[in-house]
Amino acid sequence: MHKREVRVAFQRCFHHLPTVVAAVALTASAARARADDGRRPVDDDFPVQSKGALAVDAGLVLALPATWQTGLSSGIGAGVTRGGRFAWGVRGSWSSATESSLVWTVSQNDFRLRGVAALQQPAGRGVFALRLGLGPTFAYEHRTRNQGARAGLTGSDLETSALAVFPAVDLEGVITLHVLGRWSLVLSGGPTALIADGALRGGWTAQIGAGWQP
Amino acid sequence: MRRGAVVGLAPLLVAACGRLQGFGGEAPPLVSFEVVFQGDLAPLRPAGVSDEHALRVALVWGAQWLTEPFCVLPAESPEAAAVIDAGCRDPFGFVPAVVSVSVPIAVDVPATLTLSQLPAADVMVGDVTARVAYATLVVFDDRDDTGTLELSRPRRPPFEFESERGFQPGRPDSLDIIYGASFVTMTAPDQRVAYREGAFDTASAFYPRAGCDPPLPGFSVLAAGGFSAEAALAALLSGGLPPEDPATCAVSAPAETPIVIAARAPAEVQEVGCDERTDDSSIGYRRPVADLSDLASRVVACAHLPSFGTGGGSPASDLIQLVVSGRDSDRCKGLTHYTLRGCFEDVNCADPEWDYTANPPAWWPCGP
Repeated sequence: MHKREVRVAFQRCFHHLPTVVAAVALTASAARARADDGRRPVDDDFPVQSKGALAVDAGLVLALPATWQTGLSSGIGAGVTRGGRFAWGVRGSWSSATESSLVWTVSQNDFRLRGVAALQQPAGRGVFALRLGLGPTFAYEHRTRNQGARAGLTGSDLETSALAVFPAVDLEGVITLHVLGRWSLVLSGGPTALIADGALRGGWTAQIGAGWQP
Repeated sequence: MRRGAVVGLAPLLVAACGRLQGFGGEAPPLVSFEVVFQGDLAPLRPAGVSDEHALRVALVWGAQWLTEPFCVLPAESPEAAAVIDAGCRDPFGFVPAVVSVSVPIAVDVPATLTLSQLPAADVMVGDVTARVAYATLVVFDDRDDTGTLELSRPRRPPFEFESERGFQPGRPDSLDIIYGASFVTMTAPDQRVAYREGAFDTASAFYPRAGCDPPLPGFSVLAAGGFSAEAALAALLSGGLPPEDPATCAVSAPAETPIVIAARAPAEVQEVGCDERTDDSSIGYRRPVADLSDLASRVVACAHLPSFGTGGGSPASDLIQLVVSGRDSDRCKGLTHYTLRGCFEDVNCADPEWDYTANPPAWWPCGP
């Protein structure tokens, strides 16, 4: 592109700049005017009453299955924490995933128990937190031999089950948005890791749910 | 307190010993069959074969197949009878559809043949509420070292415009030599593998065993004594199925009964390795080539188009067809039909695609 073409393009762009600035200014002043015109702050319409150190939350969990590197495990989770800028607590979740290969249909239920410690930073109606969780993940696996029932297989030839436990760690970012009264919207997610068969396996977990704080 | 904690943690400790397998680990076979091959192969070997290269046993699922009318109707001449003898396979014989697994086998040494896949729907006959598949176990010498049994197919003499119609010249005959099969024909005693889903239709004419107990759900091994061809034709004409002698019938789970295969001359059993182009008894009538030079190596006959005389279907044609068998050296029997007039899809078509009735080829041995 020639310099002349560049210059023309800039001129064409900046030709509309005053119009854009004026529009933004008018919008801002109009918004101020509406606030001044009697619109009350959101805190007045939706007052936050949660002031306590205890926080409880529960919601939908999505995660990578504990010992697979594929699939989506979904379920529910809940937790309770206590504290201010530094909080501690416990959490638990269950999620399940089912996947198939040519030979097997495998369901895996993951039960996660965590002791958690969190650093929290209030910001307006919300709270940002970084939460570290440590604890066991119980994985219950149920395998069904594909076509086995049609072929007349029974017992362990048709189905097998196993339960195993792995040490795990989660690091999650947490956003809590106080909505109304003692209730809040809680979003969290981040990487996870567990040790299985002597190897470190990575994963991720996320939760969306509701919180309650007295 | 401490005892309670130990009791409470005990299931956890036990559970921790479990091992997740995910999608790995060895898959249990869906079924296993024990196979015993008996006999002396030395006197059965074809000319030029001095030993067995790699003896194997293969499970071969059967096809639903109907022979063509020319092969079952009474021959109208000695020449036609000779063509039927040379070119028609056993109308009650086992016709293969798909070759499944195969394993090495030795004479008098039991071999275990396992399946890890069910038969596909295309080898099962019936609807999803009642369908069945039958298989024979074929012992063969894997002389091409492919590890499986290759099927052969009847080889046709050429016909006009075959390449334009998409016909291929045909694959060469399989090098594998078949020395025995558990199920060769319904007119002889057989042991067959059955796979059944849902109910069983006792009126089914798919390799029927009328008078015997139906196969078990899932896999089973069946036996029957066979029926005569005359009894079969008589039963078919009366709208029924040829009955088996109940004393010769058997139904058992695969683990309960070994399948015994007797060694036989390859010429007696090689048809179980011959699949078919069509399975509905339909016939493709062919346009004669200008020069058919290899008729000398085949058995030929001039004959009228076959008719069951029922009065239904297309009107009887006055055409004379030339029926040509395969060559003696071919592995599989088959017939080729030439007519001087007709269409590829219907020999009696009103607007023929070819008509040589006025000027037949010089080699044409039949009338117009």
